[in-house]
Amino acid sequence: MSEMILQVNHLSKSFGSHEVLKDIDFTVAPGDVTSIIGASGSGKSTLLRCINLLETPTSGEILYHGENVAGRGVNAAAYRSHVGMVFQSFNLFNNMTVLENCMVGQVKVLKKSKEEARVHAMEYLEKVGMAPYINARPRQISGGQKQRVAIARALAMDPEVLLFDEPTSALDPEMVGEVLNVMQALAQEGMTMLVVTHEMAFARDVSNHVVYMNQGLICEEGTPEDVFGTPQKQETRDFLSRFRRN
Amino acid sequence: MDKLVKLGQDIIQLWSKYWPMYMNGVKNTLILALVATAIGCVIGLICGILNTIPYTKNDSLPKRFLLKLIRVLVRIYVEVFRGTPMVLQAVFIVYGLPYFTDNALRFNNIWVAAILIVSINTGAYMAESVRGGIISIDPGQTEGAKAIGMTHVQTMTSVILPQALRNIMPQIGNNFIINVKDTSVMFIISFTEFFAAHRYIVGVNNMYFPSATIEMIGYLTMTLIASFLLRLVEKLMDGSDSYELVQADQLTMAAGTYSHPDKGTPFDERSKEYRDRTKLALKNRNGSTRGGR
Repeated sequence: MSEMILQVNHLSKSFGSHEVLKDIDFTVAPGDVTSIIGASGSGKSTLLRCINLLETPTSGEILYHGENVAGRGVNAAAYRSHVGMVFQSFNLFNNMTVLENCMVGQVKVLKKSKEEARVHAMEYLEKVGMAPYINARPRQISGGQKQRVAIARALAMDPEVLLFDEPTSALDPEMVGEVLNVMQALAQEGMTMLVVTHEMAFARDVSNHVVYMNQGLICEEGTPEDVFGTPQKQETRDFLSRFRRN
Repeated sequence: MDKLVKLGQDIIQLWSKYWPMYMNGVKNTLILALVATAIGCVIGLICGILNTIPYTKNDSLPKRFLLKLIRVLVRIYVEVFRGTPMVLQAVFIVYGLPYFTDNALRFNNIWVAAILIVSINTGAYMAESVRGGIISIDPGQTEGAKAIGMTHVQTMTSVILPQALRNIMPQIGNNFIINVKDTSVMFIISFTEFFAAHRYIVGVNNMYFPSATIEMIGYLTMTLIASFLLRLVEKLMDGSDSYELVQADQLTMAAGTYSHPDKGTPFDERSKEYRDRTKLALKNRNGSTRGGR
Protein backbone atom coordinates (compact mmCIF):
# COMPACT_ATOMS: atom_id res chain seq x y z
CA MET A 1 0.00 0.00 0.00
CA SER A 2 1.52 3.29 -1.06
CA GLU A 3 1.87 6.15 1.41
CA MET A 4 -1.40 8.01 1.78
CA ILE A 5 -1.47 11.78 2.25
CA LEU A 6 -4.86 11.80 3.89
CA GLN A 7 -6.81 9.01 5.48
CA VAL A 8 -10.25 9.64 6.92
CA ASN A 9 -11.48 7.02 9.39
CA HIS A 10 -15.02 6.73 10.73
CA LEU A 11 -15.57 10.48 10.45
CA SER A 12 -18.90 11.78 11.79
CA LYS A 13 -20.21 15.29 12.13
CA SER A 14 -23.45 16.48 13.68
CA PHE A 15 -24.93 19.93 13.90
CA GLY A 16 -27.12 19.55 16.98
CA SER A 17 -29.22 16.47 16.43
CA HIS A 18 -28.78 16.58 12.66
CA GLU A 19 -26.16 14.07 11.57
CA VAL A 20 -24.52 15.51 8.45
CA LEU A 21 -21.72 12.98 8.04
CA LYS A 22 -22.08 9.36 9.06
CA ASP A 23 -19.02 7.17 9.47
CA ILE A 24 -17.06 8.35 6.44
CA ASP A 25 -13.96 6.40 5.35
CA PHE A 26 -11.78 7.34 2.46
CA THR A 27 -8.20 7.99 1.46
CA VAL A 28 -6.25 10.36 -0.73
CA ALA A 29 -3.02 9.13 -2.35
CA PRO A 30 -0.41 11.44 -3.91
CA GLY A 31 -1.46 12.50 -7.39
CA ASP A 32 -5.11 11.61 -6.91
CA VAL A 33 -7.73 13.84 -8.41
CA THR A 34 -10.85 12.94 -6.45
CA SER A 35 -14.24 14.41 -7.30
CA ILE A 36 -16.93 14.37 -4.64
CA ILE A 37 -20.37 14.57 -6.22
CA GLY A 38 -23.85 14.41 -4.79
CA ALA A 39 -27.02 16.39 -4.27
CA SER A 40 -27.05 19.60 -2.20
CA GLY A 41 -27.14 18.84 1.51
CA SER A 42 -25.50 15.44 1.15
CA GLY A 43 -22.52 16.55 3.28
CA LYS A 44 -19.93 17.07 0.55
CA SER A 45 -18.86 20.54 1.64
CA THR A 46 -18.98 19.61 5.33
CA LEU A 47 -16.63 16.71 4.62
CA LEU A 48 -14.18 19.06 2.89
CA ARG A 49 -14.43 21.63 5.69
CA CYS A 50 -13.81 18.89 8.27
CA ILE A 51 -10.69 17.82 6.38
CA ASN A 52 -9.38 21.39 6.60
CA LEU A 53 -10.51 21.61 10.26
CA LEU A 54 -12.78 24.56 9.54
CA GLU A 55 -15.40 22.35 11.18
CA THR A 56 -14.53 20.23 14.18
CA PRO A 57 -15.52 16.61 13.52
CA THR A 58 -17.84 15.10 16.15
CA SER A 59 -15.97 11.81 16.08
CA GLY A 60 -13.52 9.86 13.99
CA GLU A 61 -10.01 10.65 12.89
CA ILE A 62 -8.27 12.38 10.01
CA LEU A 63 -4.76 11.06 9.46
CA TYR A 64 -2.31 13.35 7.66
CA HIS A 65 0.72 11.22 6.81
CA GLY A 66 -0.42 8.85 9.54
CA GLU A 67 -0.83 11.53 12.20
CA ASN A 68 -4.25 12.33 13.61
CA VAL A 69 -5.08 16.02 13.17
CA ALA A 70 -8.66 15.90 14.42
CA GLY A 71 -7.84 15.52 18.12
CA ARG A 72 -7.06 18.02 20.84
CA GLY A 73 -3.82 19.94 21.05
CA VAL A 74 -3.14 19.79 17.32
CA ASN A 75 -1.49 22.79 15.64
CA ALA A 76 -4.29 23.38 13.17
CA ALA A 77 -2.57 26.35 11.54
CA ALA A 78 0.58 24.38 10.70
CA TYR A 79 -1.51 21.54 9.25
CA ARG A 80 -3.63 23.91 7.17
CA SER A 81 -0.54 25.45 5.60
CA HIS A 82 0.06 22.07 3.89
CA VAL A 83 -3.55 21.69 2.76
CA GLY A 84 -4.76 24.46 0.48
CA MET A 85 -8.40 25.34 0.08
CA VAL A 86 -10.35 27.14 -2.61
CA PHE A 87 -13.80 28.37 -1.61
CA GLN A 88 -17.06 28.79 -3.45
CA SER A 89 -17.15 32.47 -2.41
CA PHE A 90 -13.42 33.05 -3.23
CA ASN A 91 -12.68 34.70 0.16
CA LEU A 92 -9.91 36.88 -1.22
CA PHE A 93 -8.66 39.42 1.31
CA ASN A 94 -10.50 42.63 0.46
CA ASN A 95 -7.87 44.89 2.00
CA MET A 96 -5.10 43.67 -0.29
CA THR A 97 -4.27 43.70 -3.99
CA VAL A 98 -4.18 40.54 -6.06
CA LEU A 99 -0.41 40.22 -5.60
CA GLU A 100 -0.55 40.88 -1.85
CA ASN A 101 -3.24 38.21 -1.52
CA CYS A 102 -0.81 35.67 -2.95
CA MET A 103 2.15 36.93 -0.88
CA VAL A 104 0.73 37.37 2.62
CA GLY A 105 0.60 33.66 3.46
CA GLN A 106 4.13 33.06 2.26
CA VAL A 107 5.48 36.00 4.25
CA LYS A 108 3.50 35.51 7.47
CA VAL A 109 3.18 31.73 7.64
CA LEU A 110 6.16 30.38 5.67
CA LYS A 111 8.37 33.32 6.80
CA LYS A 112 9.74 33.93 3.31
CA SER A 113 11.26 37.26 2.35
CA LYS A 114 9.01 39.71 0.49
CA GLU A 115 11.06 39.45 -2.70
CA GLU A 116 11.06 35.65 -2.64
CA ALA A 117 7.31 35.62 -2.02
CA ARG A 118 6.71 38.06 -4.85
CA VAL A 119 8.62 35.97 -7.38
CA HIS A 120 6.85 32.79 -6.27
CA ALA A 121 3.43 34.47 -6.33
CA MET A 122 4.04 35.87 -9.82
CA GLU A 123 4.91 32.38 -11.06
CA TYR A 124 1.44 31.12 -10.12
CA LEU A 125 -0.39 34.28 -11.10
CA GLU A 126 1.09 33.90 -14.56
CA LYS A 127 0.02 30.29 -14.63
CA VAL A 128 -3.60 31.20 -13.93
CA GLY A 129 -3.41 34.13 -16.37
CA MET A 130 -3.84 36.87 -13.76
CA ALA A 131 -0.36 38.43 -13.98
CA PRO A 132 -1.60 41.65 -15.64
CA TYR A 133 -4.02 42.25 -12.76
CA ILE A 134 -1.59 42.14 -9.82
CA ASN A 135 -2.40 45.71 -8.77
CA ALA A 136 -6.17 45.27 -8.84
CA ARG A 137 -8.23 44.83 -5.69
CA PRO A 138 -10.69 41.95 -5.35
CA ARG A 139 -13.68 44.27 -5.75
CA GLN A 140 -12.39 45.36 -9.15
CA ILE A 141 -12.18 41.96 -10.89
CA SER A 142 -14.76 39.45 -12.06
CA GLY A 143 -15.81 36.26 -10.29
CA GLY A 144 -13.84 33.97 -12.57
CA GLN A 145 -10.76 36.14 -12.13
CA LYS A 146 -11.21 36.13 -8.35
CA GLN A 147 -11.37 32.37 -8.31
CA ARG A 148 -8.22 32.09 -10.41
CA VAL A 149 -6.45 34.41 -7.97
CA ALA A 150 -7.76 32.28 -5.09
CA ILE A 151 -6.26 29.20 -6.76
CA ALA A 152 -2.95 31.03 -7.21
CA ARG A 153 -3.05 32.09 -3.54
CA ALA A 154 -3.53 28.49 -2.43
CA LEU A 155 -0.83 27.23 -4.82
CA ALA A 156 1.69 29.84 -3.67
CA MET A 157 1.77 28.06 -0.29
CA ASP A 158 3.06 24.92 -2.08
CA PRO A 159 0.38 22.71 -0.53
CA GLU A 160 0.46 18.94 -0.74
CA VAL A 161 -3.26 18.67 -1.34
CA LEU A 162 -5.61 21.25 -2.74
CA LEU A 163 -9.25 21.19 -1.64
CA PHE A 164 -11.85 22.79 -3.89
CA ASP A 165 -15.25 23.57 -2.36
CA GLU A 166 -17.61 24.00 -5.32
CA PRO A 167 -15.18 26.39 -7.04
CA THR A 168 -17.45 27.16 -9.98
CA SER A 169 -20.86 27.27 -8.29
CA ALA A 170 -20.86 31.05 -7.74
CA LEU A 171 -19.74 31.85 -11.27
CA ASP A 172 -21.56 32.89 -14.41
CA PRO A 173 -21.65 30.08 -16.99
CA GLU A 174 -19.13 31.79 -19.26
CA MET A 175 -16.62 32.09 -16.42
CA VAL A 176 -16.85 28.47 -15.36
CA GLY A 177 -14.67 27.43 -18.28
CA GLU A 178 -11.68 29.58 -17.35
CA VAL A 179 -11.58 28.18 -13.82
CA LEU A 180 -12.06 24.58 -14.96
CA ASN A 181 -9.23 25.02 -17.48
CA VAL A 182 -6.88 26.05 -14.70
CA MET A 183 -7.98 23.08 -12.58
CA GLN A 184 -7.53 20.69 -15.49
CA ALA A 185 -4.02 22.03 -16.09
CA LEU A 186 -3.21 21.45 -12.39
CA ALA A 187 -4.52 17.89 -12.58
CA GLN A 188 -2.35 17.20 -15.60
CA GLU A 189 0.70 18.41 -13.69
CA GLY A 190 0.04 15.83 -11.00
CA MET A 191 -1.35 18.06 -8.24
CA THR A 192 -3.27 16.10 -5.62
CA MET A 193 -6.77 17.51 -5.63
CA LEU A 194 -10.01 16.92 -3.79
CA VAL A 195 -12.88 18.59 -5.60
CA VAL A 196 -16.46 19.01 -4.46
CA THR A 197 -18.28 19.81 -7.67
CA HIS A 198 -21.50 19.90 -9.60
CA GLU A 199 -19.59 19.87 -12.89
CA MET A 200 -20.16 16.28 -13.99
CA ALA A 201 -17.98 16.74 -17.09
CA PHE A 202 -15.05 17.68 -14.86
CA ALA A 203 -15.65 14.72 -12.54
CA ARG A 204 -15.88 12.33 -15.50
CA ASP A 205 -13.05 13.63 -17.68
CA VAL A 206 -10.43 15.05 -15.34
CA SER A 207 -10.61 13.14 -12.07
CA ASN A 208 -9.39 9.59 -11.61
CA HIS A 209 -11.55 8.84 -8.60
CA VAL A 210 -15.18 9.72 -8.03
CA VAL A 211 -17.03 9.64 -4.72
CA TYR A 212 -20.82 9.85 -4.77
CA MET A 213 -22.29 11.03 -1.47
CA ASN A 214 -25.89 10.69 -0.46
CA GLN A 215 -27.40 11.75 2.89
CA GLY A 216 -24.11 11.89 4.75
CA LEU A 217 -22.85 8.53 3.50
CA ILE A 218 -20.44 7.55 0.78
CA CYS A 219 -22.89 5.74 -1.45
CA GLU A 220 -20.56 4.68 -4.20
CA GLU A 221 -16.96 5.32 -5.20
CA GLY A 222 -14.59 4.20 -7.89
CA THR A 223 -13.05 5.25 -11.17
CA PRO A 224 -15.09 7.66 -13.32
CA GLU A 225 -15.70 4.82 -15.77
CA ASP A 226 -17.25 2.67 -13.04
CA VAL A 227 -19.35 5.37 -11.37
CA PHE A 228 -20.55 7.08 -14.54
CA GLY A 229 -20.53 4.05 -16.85
CA THR A 230 -21.83 1.23 -14.69
CA PRO A 231 -23.22 2.65 -11.45
CA GLN A 232 -24.01 -0.17 -9.01
CA LYS A 233 -26.53 1.54 -6.72
CA GLN A 234 -29.99 2.75 -7.62
CA GLU A 235 -29.39 6.12 -5.86
CA THR A 236 -26.34 6.77 -8.02
CA ARG A 237 -28.26 5.92 -11.17
CA ASP A 238 -31.09 8.26 -10.15
CA PHE A 239 -28.68 11.07 -9.37
CA LEU A 240 -26.73 10.71 -12.60
CA SER A 241 -29.82 10.43 -14.76
CA ARG A 242 -30.58 14.05 -13.90
CA PHE A 243 -27.43 15.14 -15.69
CA ARG A 244 -27.94 13.11 -18.88
CA ARG A 245 -29.13 15.83 -21.17
CA ASN A 246 -27.18 15.31 -24.35
CA MET B 1 -31.55 94.22 12.58
CA ASP B 2 -29.99 96.67 15.01
CA LYS B 3 -29.91 93.81 17.54
CA LEU B 4 -27.67 91.86 15.15
CA VAL B 5 -25.46 94.89 14.60
CA LYS B 6 -25.14 95.31 18.36
CA LEU B 7 -24.29 91.60 18.73
CA GLY B 8 -21.64 91.94 16.04
CA GLN B 9 -20.09 94.92 17.74
CA ASP B 10 -20.04 93.16 21.10
CA ILE B 11 -18.45 90.08 19.57
CA ILE B 12 -15.72 92.19 17.98
CA GLN B 13 -15.16 93.96 21.27
CA LEU B 14 -14.96 90.71 23.24
CA TRP B 15 -12.75 89.01 20.69
CA SER B 16 -10.26 91.87 20.47
CA LYS B 17 -9.98 91.94 24.25
CA TYR B 18 -10.00 88.25 25.09
CA TRP B 19 -8.86 86.43 21.94
CA PRO B 20 -5.72 84.97 23.57
CA MET B 21 -7.95 83.39 26.19
CA TYR B 22 -10.38 81.99 23.62
CA MET B 23 -7.55 80.66 21.46
CA ASN B 24 -5.88 79.07 24.45
CA GLY B 25 -9.21 77.37 25.18
CA VAL B 26 -9.44 76.12 21.61
CA LYS B 27 -5.90 74.78 21.82
CA ASN B 28 -6.55 72.95 25.10
CA THR B 29 -9.85 71.55 23.84
CA LEU B 30 -8.28 70.23 20.65
CA ILE B 31 -5.27 68.70 22.38
CA LEU B 32 -7.44 67.03 25.02
CA ALA B 33 -9.94 65.71 22.44
CA LEU B 34 -7.21 64.46 20.12
CA VAL B 35 -5.08 62.72 22.75
CA ALA B 36 -8.08 61.27 24.58
CA THR B 37 -9.65 59.98 21.36
CA ALA B 38 -6.37 58.35 20.36
CA ILE B 39 -5.89 56.67 23.74
CA GLY B 40 -9.60 55.78 23.83
CA CYS B 41 -9.28 54.09 20.45
CA VAL B 42 -6.39 51.99 21.70
CA ILE B 43 -8.39 51.00 24.80
CA GLY B 44 -11.40 50.23 22.60
CA LEU B 45 -9.29 48.23 20.18
CA ILE B 46 -7.79 46.12 22.97
CA CYS B 47 -11.21 45.51 24.55
CA GLY B 48 -12.80 44.75 21.18
CA ILE B 49 -10.09 42.26 20.27
CA LEU B 50 -10.16 40.57 23.69
CA ASN B 51 -13.92 40.31 23.37
CA THR B 52 -13.80 38.51 20.04
CA ILE B 53 -11.16 35.84 20.69
CA PRO B 54 -12.98 32.67 19.70
CA TYR B 55 -12.91 29.56 21.85
CA THR B 56 -14.23 26.10 21.13
CA LYS B 57 -15.11 23.15 23.31
CA ASN B 58 -11.75 21.65 22.34
CA ASP B 59 -9.82 24.36 24.22
CA SER B 60 -8.52 23.67 27.70
CA LEU B 61 -10.60 24.65 30.73
CA PRO B 62 -8.27 27.42 32.06
CA LYS B 63 -8.20 29.07 28.63
CA ARG B 64 -11.97 29.03 28.36
CA PHE B 65 -12.34 30.34 31.91
CA LEU B 66 -9.85 33.15 31.28
CA LEU B 67 -11.57 34.24 28.07
CA LYS B 68 -14.95 34.17 29.77
CA LEU B 69 -13.59 36.25 32.67
CA ILE B 70 -12.11 38.82 30.27
CA ARG B 71 -15.45 39.16 28.53
CA VAL B 72 -17.26 39.76 31.83
CA LEU B 73 -14.71 42.39 32.95
CA VAL B 74 -14.86 44.25 29.63
CA ARG B 75 -18.65 44.13 29.79
CA ILE B 76 -18.68 45.68 33.28
CA TYR B 77 -16.21 48.41 32.20
CA VAL B 78 -18.27 49.27 29.13
CA GLU B 79 -21.59 49.34 30.95
CA VAL B 80 -20.34 51.46 33.88
CA PHE B 81 -18.52 54.12 31.87
CA ARG B 82 -21.05 54.25 29.06
CA GLY B 83 -23.94 54.40 31.46
CA THR B 84 -22.86 57.27 33.76
CA PRO B 85 -22.30 60.97 32.91
CA MET B 86 -18.72 62.03 32.30
CA VAL B 87 -19.13 64.98 34.71
CA LEU B 88 -19.83 62.63 37.59
CA GLN B 89 -16.98 60.31 36.61
CA ALA B 90 -14.67 63.35 36.68
CA VAL B 91 -15.94 64.29 40.13
CA PHE B 92 -15.51 60.76 41.48
CA ILE B 93 -12.01 60.32 40.07
CA VAL B 94 -10.58 63.75 40.87
CA TYR B 95 -12.33 64.51 44.19
CA GLY B 96 -13.43 61.02 45.24
CA LEU B 97 -10.03 59.31 45.07
CA PRO B 98 -8.25 61.74 47.47
CA TYR B 99 -11.30 61.73 49.75
CA PHE B 100 -11.48 57.93 50.10
CA THR B 101 -7.71 57.39 50.28
CA ASP B 102 -6.99 60.29 52.62
CA ASN B 103 -5.04 62.15 49.93
CA ALA B 104 -2.80 59.14 49.24
CA LEU B 105 -4.10 59.03 45.68
CA ARG B 106 -4.62 62.37 43.97
CA PHE B 107 -4.04 64.10 40.69
CA ASN B 108 -1.55 66.91 40.86
CA ASN B 109 -1.69 67.45 37.14
CA ILE B 110 -5.08 68.47 35.80
CA TRP B 111 -4.07 67.41 32.26
CA VAL B 112 -3.44 63.81 33.36
CA ALA B 113 -6.80 63.68 35.11
CA ALA B 114 -8.70 65.16 32.14
CA ILE B 115 -7.03 62.91 29.57
CA LEU B 116 -7.61 59.86 31.77
CA ILE B 117 -11.32 60.55 32.22
CA VAL B 118 -12.04 61.36 28.59
CA SER B 119 -10.03 58.41 27.24
CA ILE B 120 -11.65 55.91 29.57
CA ASN B 121 -15.00 57.21 28.40
CA THR B 122 -14.11 57.07 24.73
CA GLY B 123 -12.66 53.59 25.25
CA ALA B 124 -15.99 52.34 26.59
CA TYR B 125 -17.81 53.55 23.48
CA MET B 126 -15.07 52.39 21.12
CA ALA B 127 -14.99 48.87 22.65
CA GLU B 128 -18.45 48.24 21.30
CA SER B 129 -17.70 49.93 17.98
CA VAL B 130 -14.60 47.78 17.48
CA ARG B 131 -16.51 44.63 18.40
CA GLY B 132 -19.15 45.60 15.87
CA GLY B 133 -16.48 46.33 13.28
CA ILE B 134 -14.87 42.95 13.78
CA ILE B 135 -18.07 40.91 13.67
CA SER B 136 -19.23 42.81 10.59
CA ILE B 137 -16.36 41.36 8.54
CA ASP B 138 -17.49 38.43 6.40
CA PRO B 139 -16.55 35.12 8.13
CA GLY B 140 -15.19 34.05 4.74
CA GLN B 141 -12.26 36.40 5.30
CA THR B 142 -11.33 34.53 8.48
CA GLU B 143 -11.76 31.19 6.75
CA GLY B 144 -9.62 32.29 3.83
CA ALA B 145 -6.87 33.35 6.22
CA LYS B 146 -7.11 30.18 8.28
CA ALA B 147 -7.05 28.04 5.15
CA ILE B 148 -3.57 29.29 4.26
CA GLY B 149 -2.38 28.46 7.76
CA MET B 150 -2.56 31.80 9.55
CA THR B 151 -2.90 31.81 13.32
CA HIS B 152 -5.63 33.83 15.06
CA VAL B 153 -3.24 36.71 15.73
CA GLN B 154 -1.97 36.80 12.14
CA THR B 155 -5.52 36.64 10.80
CA MET B 156 -6.48 39.56 13.02
CA THR B 157 -3.52 41.82 12.29
CA SER B 158 -3.22 41.18 8.55
CA VAL B 159 -6.78 40.64 7.42
CA ILE B 160 -9.56 41.44 9.89
CA LEU B 161 -8.37 44.56 11.75
CA PRO B 162 -7.34 46.57 8.66
CA GLN B 163 -10.83 46.02 7.28
CA ALA B 164 -12.56 46.54 10.63
CA LEU B 165 -10.60 49.76 11.21
CA ARG B 166 -11.76 51.09 7.86
CA ASN B 167 -15.34 50.28 8.84
CA ILE B 168 -15.14 51.99 12.23
CA MET B 169 -13.45 55.14 10.91
CA PRO B 170 -16.80 57.00 10.93
CA GLN B 171 -17.22 55.92 14.57
CA ILE B 172 -13.77 57.22 15.48
CA GLY B 173 -14.69 60.52 13.84
CA ASN B 174 -17.95 60.53 15.73
CA ASN B 175 -16.16 60.06 19.01
CA PHE B 176 -13.63 62.77 18.23
CA ILE B 177 -16.38 65.28 17.48
CA ILE B 178 -18.30 64.27 20.59
CA ASN B 179 -15.08 64.71 22.60
CA VAL B 180 -14.46 68.19 21.18
CA LYS B 181 -17.87 69.24 22.52
CA ASP B 182 -18.12 67.12 25.66
CA THR B 183 -14.75 68.09 27.08
CA SER B 184 -16.64 71.26 28.05
CA VAL B 185 -17.81 69.41 31.19
CA MET B 186 -14.17 69.29 32.32
CA PHE B 187 -14.65 72.78 33.82
CA ILE B 188 -15.85 70.82 36.86
CA ILE B 189 -12.24 69.86 37.58
CA SER B 190 -11.17 73.41 36.56
CA PHE B 191 -9.61 72.37 33.29
CA THR B 192 -9.33 75.51 31.14
CA GLU B 193 -10.69 74.46 27.76
CA PHE B 194 -12.77 76.52 25.33
CA PHE B 195 -15.96 76.55 27.37
CA ALA B 196 -14.10 77.40 30.61
CA ALA B 197 -12.77 80.48 28.82
CA HIS B 198 -16.37 81.51 28.12
CA ARG B 199 -17.36 80.95 31.74
CA TYR B 200 -14.48 83.10 32.95
CA ILE B 201 -15.09 85.89 30.44
CA VAL B 202 -18.83 86.21 31.11
CA GLY B 203 -17.99 86.18 34.82
CA VAL B 204 -16.07 89.45 34.49
CA ASN B 205 -18.36 90.91 31.78
CA ASN B 206 -22.09 91.02 31.33
CA MET B 207 -21.96 90.11 27.62
CA TYR B 208 -23.29 86.56 27.83
CA PHE B 209 -24.79 86.11 24.36
CA PRO B 210 -21.93 87.61 22.37
CA SER B 211 -19.53 85.25 24.12
CA ALA B 212 -21.89 82.30 23.63
CA THR B 213 -22.03 83.15 19.93
CA ILE B 214 -18.25 83.08 19.75
CA GLU B 215 -18.36 79.66 21.43
CA MET B 216 -20.96 78.40 18.95
CA ILE B 217 -18.95 79.54 15.96
CA GLY B 218 -15.75 78.20 17.50
CA TYR B 219 -17.12 74.73 18.18
CA LEU B 220 -18.78 74.51 14.78
CA THR B 221 -15.55 75.51 13.04
CA MET B 222 -13.58 72.88 14.94
CA THR B 223 -16.05 70.08 14.21
CA LEU B 224 -16.48 71.04 10.54
CA ILE B 225 -12.73 70.96 9.97
CA ALA B 226 -12.57 67.63 11.82
CA SER B 227 -15.33 66.15 9.62
CA PHE B 228 -13.58 67.31 6.49
CA LEU B 229 -10.25 65.82 7.55
CA LEU B 230 -11.90 62.53 8.49
CA ARG B 231 -13.54 62.21 5.09
CA LEU B 232 -10.14 62.80 3.54
CA VAL B 233 -8.56 60.06 5.66
CA GLU B 234 -11.35 57.63 4.73
CA LYS B 235 -10.81 58.36 1.05
CA LEU B 236 -7.10 57.70 1.41
CA MET B 237 -7.81 54.41 3.20
CA ASP B 238 -10.06 53.24 0.39
CA GLY B 239 -7.23 53.59 -2.11
CA SER B 240 -7.52 54.27 -5.77
CA ASP B 241 -10.69 53.37 -7.66
CA SER B 242 -8.74 52.32 -10.72
CA TYR B 243 -5.76 50.07 -11.27
CA GLU B 244 -3.04 49.71 -13.87
CA LEU B 245 -2.70 46.55 -15.91
CA VAL B 246 0.84 45.25 -15.78
CA GLN B 247 2.06 44.25 -19.20
CA ALA B 248 4.41 41.57 -18.01
CA ASP B 249 3.67 39.25 -20.89
CA GLN B 250 2.65 40.58 -24.26
CA LEU B 251 0.92 37.30 -25.10
CA THR B 252 -1.42 37.49 -22.11
CA MET B 253 -2.38 41.01 -23.04
CA ALA B 254 -2.99 40.07 -26.65
CA ALA B 255 -5.07 37.01 -25.76
CA GLY B 256 -7.79 36.37 -28.30
CA THR B 257 -6.54 38.94 -30.79
CA TYR B 258 -4.58 36.63 -33.05
CA SER B 259 -5.23 33.19 -34.40
CA HIS B 260 -2.93 30.34 -33.61
CA PRO B 261 -1.37 28.44 -36.54
CA ASP B 262 -2.67 25.19 -35.08
CA LYS B 263 -6.27 26.34 -35.22
CA GLY B 264 -8.46 23.73 -36.83
CA THR B 265 -5.77 21.03 -36.84
CA PRO B 266 -5.69 18.04 -34.47
CA PHE B 267 -3.20 20.02 -32.37
CA ASP B 268 -5.74 22.72 -31.64
CA GLU B 269 -6.62 22.53 -27.95
CA ARG B 270 -10.25 22.93 -28.87
CA SER B 271 -10.36 19.94 -31.20
CA LYS B 272 -11.90 16.69 -30.09
CA GLU B 273 -8.85 14.70 -31.01
CA TYR B 274 -6.67 16.77 -28.65
CA ARG B 275 -9.12 16.31 -25.79
CA ASP B 276 -9.29 12.58 -26.32
CA ARG B 277 -5.52 12.38 -26.29
CA THR B 278 -5.29 14.39 -23.08
CA LYS B 279 -7.89 12.15 -21.52
CA LEU B 280 -5.96 9.07 -22.50
CA ALA B 281 -2.74 10.55 -21.13
CA LEU B 282 -4.48 11.31 -17.86
CA LYS B 283 -5.91 7.84 -17.61
CA ASN B 284 -2.48 6.30 -18.10
CA ARG B 285 -1.05 8.50 -15.38
CA ASN B 286 -3.88 7.55 -13.10
CA GLY B 287 -3.21 3.89 -13.66
CA SER B 288 0.31 4.27 -12.37
CA THR B 289 -0.42 6.37 -9.29
CA ARG B 290 -3.34 4.31 -8.11
CA GLY B 291 -1.61 1.00 -8.66
CA GLY B 292 -0.88 0.56 -4.99
CA ARG B 293 -4.48 0.48 -3.86
